[in-house]
Amino acid sequence: MLMQKELLKSFVDMDEAEAVRIARELVETEGGAVAVLDTCKEAMEEVGRLFEAGEYFLSELIAAGDMFNQIMEFTLPKLQGGEVASIGTMVLGTVLGDVHNIGKDIFKVMAEASGINVIDIGIDVPHEKFVEAIKEHKPEIVGMSCLITLGVDSMKRTIEVIEEAGLRDDIKIIIGGGRVSQAVMEHVGADAWADDAARGVRLSKELLG
Amino acid sequence: MVSPEAKKLAEERAARMQAALDLKEPDRVPFTGLGGDVIPAYAGITSYEYEFDFEKNRQAAVKWFTDFPSDSAPRVGLGGLDNQSMGVAFQDYPEIVSGVNSVNGPMNDVLKMKFVRFPGRELDENSARQFIGGKNMEPEEYDQLIADPVKFCFEVIMPRISGGLKDLGSPASLATMARFGLEKARQDAEMAKTMQALMELGYYFAPRGVCLAPLDLISDQLRDIPNLILDLRRYPDKVKAAAEALVEPMVKMGTMSIKAGAKECFIPLHLNEYLSPKQYNEFYWPTLKEVILKLVEAGMKVQVFFEGWHDAHLETILELPAGWGTAYFEKTDVRKAKKLLQGHTCIMGGIDVSDIISLTPAQLDENIKKLFDEMAPGGGFIFSPNIGTCPRETPIENVRAVYEAVEKYGKY
Repeated sequence: MLMQKELLKSFVDMDEAEAVRIARELVETEGGAVAVLDTCKEAMEEVGRLFEAGEYFLSELIAAGDMFNQIMEFTLPKLQGGEVASIGTMVLGTVLGDVHNIGKDIFKVMAEASGINVIDIGIDVPHEKFVEAIKEHKPEIVGMSCLITLGVDSMKRTIEVIEEAGLRDDIKIIIGGGRVSQAVMEHVGADAWADDAARGVRLSKELLG
Repeated sequence: MVSPEAKKLAEERAARMQAALDLKEPDRVPFTGLGGDVIPAYAGITSYEYEFDFEKNRQAAVKWFTDFPSDSAPRVGLGGLDNQSMGVAFQDYPEIVSGVNSVNGPMNDVLKMKFVRFPGRELDENSARQFIGGKNMEPEEYDQLIADPVKFCFEVIMPRISGGLKDLGSPASLATMARFGLEKARQDAEMAKTMQALMELGYYFAPRGVCLAPLDLISDQLRDIPNLILDLRRYPDKVKAAAEALVEPMVKMGTMSIKAGAKECFIPLHLNEYLSPKQYNEFYWPTLKEVILKLVEAGMKVQVFFEGWHDAHLETILELPAGWGTAYFEKTDVRKAKKLLQGHTCIMGGIDVSDIISLTPAQLDENIKKLFDEMAPGGGFIFSPNIGTCPRETPIENVRAVYEAVEKYGKY
């Protein structure tokens, strides 16, 4: 338990070297991989909370995401099937015409840390690719990201294409990124919006009920 | 021929902007106008035509600026993407810098930059041009950047980012520079025609300098943002020293157009909203502030675009001398900024492009009325969309509503 506490503290305090060192040690102990996973998820949640409270900034989200990925790289292979519980599946992509990935990537790692199984279909994603991914992965949620103004109508069109494919009623759609707002959400026909990753993860969990 | 009426109109527009810059009340709230991909859409041409064909670009601009009049020097010509590391590489040759600092479509056909994509080339002909970015420098190379940023940008970075100049000194690279010169001369002549056409409509032009915050040059052009964010924790001293080494090159970039008559320098910020106040004050602001102060010392006003949320760092603006220039805000509430900066800084912004796309004309009218009620008194305010680009799909009835509201409520 002490190591978990130390891992949590160093992770939340952004002490990368120390957090990775402790995680490497802890992961080798009995039941250590599960402990590392749970602790890192808790740490990511705390980082998200600090971000929403205005104490942490995008810089901390990026650094935390990088730490999480580093630690998961040597932790996940040690976990047994069934030990990684998922609370739902999300197909995630930056819409056609927009190549911005930073916001999407921050959101992705935070969503994964919160237990969502994220299918990342990339940037500049054609409308049809969203449809194919929905058919293939049967997600509860679809997340669409855009940073540039062109993305607003690209999201609208993507949602129309999903509707035309008869898939709209099966999913909830959350939009994210620098250009979204309540008005944009209504304009494009999405179910939720978030202009930061922490809020996005919180709302996604709500959408999953 | 520029008619006396057009000349008078241009002078009124310039005076309106200048009064706001001088923190006074003009006759009307100055308005920068809307722009971006909606201009070719309105003219019925593709984005590809608008970005590659000067004649069509000029016709589209004339139509737009006739139907939708605005006050600032219009942003016309072919749109480009930021390429300041190459500007630094050629900083001793201003005639080259003005062609490489921002790369437009036809110029990219010559230089073949690896981090940009254009409509009708790599993209659909109605897509918006894209800055893809990417990592062009390894952390081990900070020492080289610190030792001589100009040499580093020229010898190390440029061959990595320009397909035409990947092998410096080769026949291919010499041919690229020769073609660059021909294209630059062609574009200068075309731009002169476009400016003439707009001056006949009552617009004015004022050259202005452009540079970046030193840390943004590193994150946007060299390391990319996520890597730079990690560098702040992994190599803090190197990052700091590199930003310091870039102060002089940035000042040089900003001031080089003074000879051509520039009185203002534009600095678009990028990394500001990513950083905590502690990081901002340690890594970002000291060198940015130094650049701004040196530009002011050189007799320029500075316009800084504070991208994203700048709320956490707002008070640092007060460290600059009153009348230093214009703070252009994207997401930060201009009302909140006015409370803090009135009488010190000209404030620019006020309407979210997402609102222009997604609200109704009546809602836009009401929002602008309310905004002007609060922002206009006391002057020092320029009305502007929060970012430069309205997409092709922007409803024209909403565009009209914005211009009509400015006309209705903008009078002092």
